[in-house]
Amino acid sequence: MRGYREREPFILGAAVIVLLIALWEAVPSLVTLSRGMALFFTTPSKVAATFWRMLVNGELNRHLYVSGLEFVVGLGLAILVGLPLGLLMGRSKTLDALLDPYVNALNATPRLVFLPLLILWFGLGIWSKIMIVFAGAVFPLLINTYVGVRNVNRVLIDVVRSFCASERQIMRIVVVPNSVPYIVAGLRLAIGRAMLGVVVGEFFGAPEGLGHVIAEAASNYVVDKVFVGVLIFMGMSLVLTMSVKKIESNLTRWRPEETKTF
Amino acid sequence: MGLGAFYDQHPRLILGVASIAVLEGAWELLLTYVVAYNPFFLTKPSLIAAAFNQQIIQGKLWKDIAISSRAFALGLALAILVGIPIGAVMGWRRRVEYALDPLLTALYASPLVALAPVLIIAFGVGLTAKAALVFLLSVFPFVFNTFAGVRATDRVLINVVTSFGGKERDLYLKVILPSTLPYIVAGARLAIGRALVGILVGEFYAASEGIGFAISQFGDTYRLAEMFSGILVLCIAAVALTEALRKLERVVAPWSAEQTSR
Repeated sequence: MRGYREREPFILGAAVIVLLIALWEAVPSLVTLSRGMALFFTTPSKVAATFWRMLVNGELNRHLYVSGLEFVVGLGLAILVGLPLGLLMGRSKTLDALLDPYVNALNATPRLVFLPLLILWFGLGIWSKIMIVFAGAVFPLLINTYVGVRNVNRVLIDVVRSFCASERQIMRIVVVPNSVPYIVAGLRLAIGRAMLGVVVGEFFGAPEGLGHVIAEAASNYVVDKVFVGVLIFMGMSLVLTMSVKKIESNLTRWRPEETKTF
Repeated sequence: MGLGAFYDQHPRLILGVASIAVLEGAWELLLTYVVAYNPFFLTKPSLIAAAFNQQIIQGKLWKDIAISSRAFALGLALAILVGIPIGAVMGWRRRVEYALDPLLTALYASPLVALAPVLIIAFGVGLTAKAALVFLLSVFPFVFNTFAGVRATDRVLINVVTSFGGKERDLYLKVILPSTLPYIVAGARLAIGRALVGILVGEFYAASEGIGFAISQFGDTYRLAEMFSGILVLCIAAVALTEALRKLERVVAPWSAEQTSR
């Protein structure tokens, strides 16, 4: 069989996933579940059927729209704030020293801890979710931009400066282009955090959104609906992170592979 | 030593402390003398300090902290016990890597907190569900960092040990473990952040005790100063754990300090 060795990674990887799904599907027919368990147990086929039904009768549209909006606006705000602040902190030692304690402390703390506060301030509507998405996503962007700026080759800056470049020109010609790979890596992390914000934010008292679908279905013990929500979230994050990852590896082909972080 | 000289030696420290002091001072003064604030929406540092004293120093919150710590430690310990062996085998046997990598990467990249309701249905409200959530979130950094560490082991070192008659055991103890350890510690730092998210979500979502529950309870009852003191505790714990691991990283691998971004 020609080419098995080349395709082995793909074949083995896919086989494990398919096998797991098949196993899950087979559980009810292999073991008899206790009455309590049987009530809450669901299989992939039931989840798929529920997903299809929800998609066809339009039940998902509104929730997808709300969750998507929170994600996009929150992440957009995080980019608008994180990138400029990261650039400034990278270029100015004073600003760096002034802001570093906050950035460090807030980055180490899971920002989800502010969720009750944000709900108090912004209400149960869409804005408290946007703010929690923003709070989660802004730090990876800020810090990666900062690290990117700090890692710019000093020699390049000195060269441009000795040709009488202004600070703005230094930024435009040297600093920003050199930070792009870091920023893209930050974006990948930020997407994960933003998704986390959407999920958890919508768990609590949200009137709509995919997280709300999950929470409501769970409190009614409709487990297949819960999994539909979970799978949509998983699919979205995978597509987004993988596409950013693709961009990232195109930008940094010359760098050795680093450990995975999401 | 003059003040100027001291500033020249520790500019970052002084600017950082000054920045915190000025912010707290401005916050306090603004709300005391300038703005008539609504205590249901805002609070000020002096009240937070009083609440912190009452809740932490006098120990009202300790019970909750202890309960959260149990779930945190249990989940994290399980993640270490499961994650490191899986990562090591994946790094050592290429077929295992092929088989597991797609599945685990997909799970790592997706917001698994969305499974919180399912875990709570399965395990009930309490320690087990929280520990399971912590485990689920924090196991992947251990897997992937151990994997990367084993993979990054220098082949030359392995060859040297074998050609001097080293046994399989020597290989593990003298080459692979020391070169993997820094990666594992770096993974632990990532895992801690995710584990804290697990604790918070588990306790926000369904719990009757624990620090996350306390924070959301204070929020629901508009006790902002108490809520902020809870947030502060979590912040301190997160920073302390992260910094301790960063120190440990420098101890186990002084040569690779600051290899990963914050």
